[in-house]
Amino acid sequence: MEYLVVFLILVVFLQTRIMELHRATYLLAVQSAIIAGSCVIVGVSSGGGGFHAFLPGLLTLGVKVIFIPWAILRLIGEIKDESEINSNINVNYSSLAAAFFLVMGYILADRLLPGTIGRDIFAATFLTIMTGLTLIVMRRRAIMQIVGLITLENGIYFFGLLMTEGLPLIVELGVFLDVLIAVVVLVILTGRMRLSFMTTDTGVMRKLKG
Amino acid sequence: MDLIFLSPLLFLLGTATILWPKSLEMAAHYVGMMFAAVGSAVLLYKSGLYLISAGVLESADGWLVTGRWGSYSLNADLWSAPFLVITGLAGFIISLYGMDYAKGYRGNGLRALTGQWNLFLLSMVMVLLAGDAFTFILAWEVMALVSFLLVNHESSKKETVSAAYQYMIMTHLGTAAILVAFYILGSGVGSFSFTAFCNNKLPADVKHIVFCFAFAGFALKSGLMPLHVWLPNAHPAAPSHVSALMSGVMLKVAVYGFGRFVFQFIGIDTLWQGGLVMTVGLISAFLGVLYANMEKDMKRILAYSSVENMGIIFTGFGCGMILKHLGLEALSLVAFTAVLVHAFTHSLMKCLLFMSAGCVMHATGSKNIEIMGGLAKKMPWTAFFTLIGSMSLASLPFTGGLVGEWLTLQSLYTLAVNGGDEIRLLVVFGLILMGLTGALALGCFVRLFGVVFLGRCRSKTIDKAHEQPFFMVLALGIEAALIIAVGIFPSPLVAAMEGIFTGGNAVVPMATDFALLWSGTGNFYNQLSAYCPIIFAVIGLALFGLCYLSIMGNTLVRSEVTWNCGTYPTARQQYSATGFSKPLRRAFDFILKPRREKVYLEKEHDYFGRIMRFNLFVPDRFTDRLYHPIEHFMVRISSTLLMIQQGSVRLYIAYTMIAMVAVLLWGVM
Repeated sequence: MEYLVVFLILVVFLQTRIMELHRATYLLAVQSAIIAGSCVIVGVSSGGGGFHAFLPGLLTLGVKVIFIPWAILRLIGEIKDESEINSNINVNYSSLAAAFFLVMGYILADRLLPGTIGRDIFAATFLTIMTGLTLIVMRRRAIMQIVGLITLENGIYFFGLLMTEGLPLIVELGVFLDVLIAVVVLVILTGRMRLSFMTTDTGVMRKLKG
Repeated sequence: MDLIFLSPLLFLLGTATILWPKSLEMAAHYVGMMFAAVGSAVLLYKSGLYLISAGVLESADGWLVTGRWGSYSLNADLWSAPFLVITGLAGFIISLYGMDYAKGYRGNGLRALTGQWNLFLLSMVMVLLAGDAFTFILAWEVMALVSFLLVNHESSKKETVSAAYQYMIMTHLGTAAILVAFYILGSGVGSFSFTAFCNNKLPADVKHIVFCFAFAGFALKSGLMPLHVWLPNAHPAAPSHVSALMSGVMLKVAVYGFGRFVFQFIGIDTLWQGGLVMTVGLISAFLGVLYANMEKDMKRILAYSSVENMGIIFTGFGCGMILKHLGLEALSLVAFTAVLVHAFTHSLMKCLLFMSAGCVMHATGSKNIEIMGGLAKKMPWTAFFTLIGSMSLASLPFTGGLVGEWLTLQSLYTLAVNGGDEIRLLVVFGLILMGLTGALALGCFVRLFGVVFLGRCRSKTIDKAHEQPFFMVLALGIEAALIIAVGIFPSPLVAAMEGIFTGGNAVVPMATDFALLWSGTGNFYNQLSAYCPIIFAVIGLALFGLCYLSIMGNTLVRSEVTWNCGTYPTARQQYSATGFSKPLRRAFDFILKPRREKVYLEKEHDYFGRIMRFNLFVPDRFTDRLYHPIEHFMVRISSTLLMIQQGSVRLYIAYTMIAMVAVLLWGVM
């Protein structure tokens, strides 16, 4: 579990540095895979095995590691313009923010939940959540924002898993369905946006303001 | 059910005429106005009886109306009665007038006008009958909204719409202040009924805050300076009968509310409250009439004159509050009587003059008095009744206008004598300002009447002028007759109004030495009037006889054209309205700051061949100095706030994120 958390922190840090869309998507898949692994570990260690212990992990694997990256990659495949895929903006602020959030996560863990066993896990989930938000706020590309959203979602899911040690099945199914639909809608919208505006830069959306 | 409940019911039925089909527009109008008139008459009859029988108190528990339905309750006591009488009387007469006047709006929202007219009357009656804060505010708000709709009736005109919206914003500010006052009271008492408010045990400083809010709210509705800015704009914009009702009744409803707060909820326990009310009243009275002198629009003149008269009413009110605080109970009752008497007479005369302005507009199609003149020949009855109204507003003897003002002046005088040193300076200024106000009011109405009805025609607009339909003239006539009646026999009115405070008993000091001040004889109640018109009549007759005798000898009469340095006099050589008030503009230049604008369209030489355009504009100083800065400040703040509203989703998410981080950090601290 500790190794997974270290990997997760590393991957999230990397996410803040990467601007190329393919690699960002791969990273997202890796991150989701780590979450899936953690799910299985938590499931096995808390409940006495069985189908239910593996279900969240399998669902994460299916939805977040395979389906969503696949859909995003398909979308990227349709983009021909090189400047759309690579964009040069200063990513240092996002990394700095991630570092800040990691520190803040540890402080929060110590102050709000003293004596929790999963201190590192808490800090990592907080980092994931806040980095997801940072990606949404600081990136202009629609696809990067989708990646940010999934990261955020991963963080929240992992946090919930840690706190409750396994949610009821129906809740888990609902959460995954939500994410799935949100991503499908976002992918479709991004595709439409590319057709209408010839770009996936969300800055152009400001033109729609009345 | 009591007969008085018939009146709101009739108003409701009248409101329902708004739903009649378009083809029955005229019928709807007549029926609606009939409902309004009959409803007002019922109201007048019942509340008038109650008012007159104040000493006997016929109804078992002393209420005029009392009832409770869930959280709504109605209570009307002696303090409501005079205002109900004012509403009933004005509503009856103006509805008669409106029957003919509003015909001009045929095909132009006439049904809406008539329906809203009934609703307006209903809302005012409900304000006066309300027995708890909730009912009061509800009726008050309906009153504000309906009057907004009525002001906005001619919404095709741009200035009407802007006046109406200005009115709506201002009146809502007032409502907000009153709401705050009620809220503080209600949270202190734990109930919203007026009876509970009366027995409140709030600490004194809380009561002072309540007083400030209530005064601000009601002063705004009464059009006291500096909260009057909506009034000179809203009144000209509204149809004339609506302006008459707004000025004649709605402004008085604010006096009612203020009185209820002061007498029952707050009590009079400090000097500064009365001083504040009196100062604001004096300033409004003086500046109101000064601005009235500067205006050229007939209805704006009347609107500013309303500011003046509300100022006089509040001066009397403040005077009474000070007297009461000083422990001079009996003398304070005279001041409060003055408030009611002047409210009543002002309602009479302002309704009359607004209706007359409506007649003039009807006949000439204009409100600008500079292009009128000589209307008395075309509209003799209107002119005659307007003359009576103008005399009354100038507080001349034998008219109702004098009674209230006389009582107010007398109260000021008793305050000067008995008030002690602290407030003597204020009272001296008060007397000076009241004197100036009276003089300026005289000038204002001489100017109004002279320019509009006397002299020669100034333009072609007068040519097609004609006397007005029967009901319009009849309404003017009733008002004029009432004004004269009150002027000559004020005693019943004064006694009835005084009975409100004393329960029908005579106030003691008036029958003793003070009566010398009031009537010139030792006994007040044996006289016909408070100021003894007999003395005036004798003096007048003596003066008239003197003049007559001195002229008697010279019977030589020659008819000649006025000598005019060899030219024939034309209409352009008479006093114009602007010219008439020129001396005042010079004397009060430092207050009015008129803006003059001279443009030479053509100038061949310094002394001849010049064509010049001259613009004179007297700005409202409060608008310039108070409201415009506030407005600019608000706009600046709003545009600064707009900076955080960039319309970018990412920015909004960032706000959420910052808020989240801040909350978490705060939780950690």
